[in-house]
Amino acid sequence: MPVKAAQTSFRDRTFEFQSVAERLRKTVSSQNGPSSSSKADEQRSAVTLQSEFNRRASKIGLGIHHTSQKLAKLAKLAKRTSVFDDPTMEIQELTAVIKQDITALNSAVVDLQLVSNSRNDGISSDTTSHSTTVVDDLKNRLMSATKEFKEVLTMRTENLKVHESRRQLFSSTASKDSANPFVRQRPLATRSAAASTSSSPPPWANGSPSSSQLFPRKQDGESQPLLQQQQHHQQQQHHQQQQQQQMVPLQDSYMQSRAEALQNVESTIHELGNIFNQLATLVSQQGEIAIRIDENMDDTMANVEGAQGALLKYLNSISSNRWLMIKIFFVLIFFLMIFLFFVA
Amino acid sequence: MKITALLVLKCNPDGSDPVVLATAMDVSHFGYFQRSSVKEFILFVARTVGKRTPPGQRQSVQHEEYKVHSYNRNGLCVMGFMDDHYPVRSSFSLLNQVLDEYQKNFGESWRTAQADNMQPWPYLNEALNKYQDPAEADKLLKIQRELDETKIILHKTIDSVLARGEKLDSLVEKSSDLSAASQMFYKQAKKTNQCCTIL
Repeated sequence: MPVKAAQTSFRDRTFEFQSVAERLRKTVSSQNGPSSSSKADEQRSAVTLQSEFNRRASKIGLGIHHTSQKLAKLAKLAKRTSVFDDPTMEIQELTAVIKQDITALNSAVVDLQLVSNSRNDGISSDTTSHSTTVVDDLKNRLMSATKEFKEVLTMRTENLKVHESRRQLFSSTASKDSANPFVRQRPLATRSAAASTSSSPPPWANGSPSSSQLFPRKQDGESQPLLQQQQHHQQQQHHQQQQQQQMVPLQDSYMQSRAEALQNVESTIHELGNIFNQLATLVSQQGEIAIRIDENMDDTMANVEGAQGALLKYLNSISSNRWLMIKIFFVLIFFLMIFLFFVA
Repeated sequence: MKITALLVLKCNPDGSDPVVLATAMDVSHFGYFQRSSVKEFILFVARTVGKRTPPGQRQSVQHEEYKVHSYNRNGLCVMGFMDDHYPVRSSFSLLNQVLDEYQKNFGESWRTAQADNMQPWPYLNEALNKYQDPAEADKLLKIQRELDETKIILHKTIDSVLARGEKLDSLVEKSSDLSAASQMFYKQAKKTNQCCTIL
């Protein structure tokens, strides 16, 4: 029987069987007379309730299947987003559609649980356990679908962040406008996803203990106002989100311009730092040149001093050489005198 | 880059006409006979814009050659009439400052005001005078301006450092030439000293 509520790859003929059985019973009871007609009515009402339950369960299962298909499509779209050609509109539409589906399915599951609880008098425990199992199974599948939805949304935000960082690497000023709308919308979208996920666990958290307990009437009363509370809460949040969406772009331009000015200041300071670094490099290079000049000048001074010393010595030797020459002249003249004496 | 008027109004959320709490106007650049009508006009436009600014929101309305900036915070609305060249951000930061100052000075007494209050508030007048230059009001603008000047100065510094580098290069060449010449000189002197000792 739970198989019937799953994705129907085979035909569901139990309903036909039950209608045939009813017809047969009708013919039998018409033969038996009116005494058993009330019992047949009871049985028929039980059967109609049972088939009603099954019909709803199969509808919900189908809905869950469709939603998970749409979710797979959304996941594919979110994965393949590139920096250009972003299918943002489609993704947002799909997200909204999936959210609606999930909330509708959620309410349908709660209704189903109510129905199954309401007709629990006088029917065998097998049917009770079957119906509760079916309801739990549907709830589990809905929960997994919602979890996948949340994962897809987080993946999408991460993708967006990566794209934004890549875009800013390549173009410095262009993307500040596009960054902010996403930043504005993402909290709304994740908040709405969180709202839907936070609203869907409570019926299960409340629902599963209620199904296991044996006081269906009391839990009926509790789950009804809980459902209404959730719907009211979701409506409120949606309204608030709409309002915030409208007011945020107006404040945005002021805040954006402030953010832009701050970023300008920061980049200017950065450039200034760069310029200072270059200045320091240039000055240190020139310092080396200055040291070389200093060494050259020291060499020159040493050379000139040496040359000066040499010249002084030369001067001294020249001036002292005269004396020697006079002495040599005297010696020569002496020799001449002797030579003259010998000849003359 | 001129502020023509600054006003503080009390805006009722129910949409009735706002009550003027303080004004400061500078209409000196209109002709003498136009001044009173210009003042009336400013009051009227201020009331209209103030009526239409929801609480907690900033608005800028373009009117002929003026921009009217209004900021409504919890029913106290402050507005500035500026010309088109005045940057929007500085005008809003100026409005913020005026609002804070007003609340500091007058506390909550404005909430009960019903009639237009035409007493001059000196702070508003001197604010009007001081903040004609948008850089005064907006610190960010001032910082940006100073940073730009610093950048220009740094560019000039780098140019002069490059020129200094060129001069240092030429100096280094000249000093190396000098050192070579002095070395030749030294060798020459030594040579003349060596060979002529006998003669």
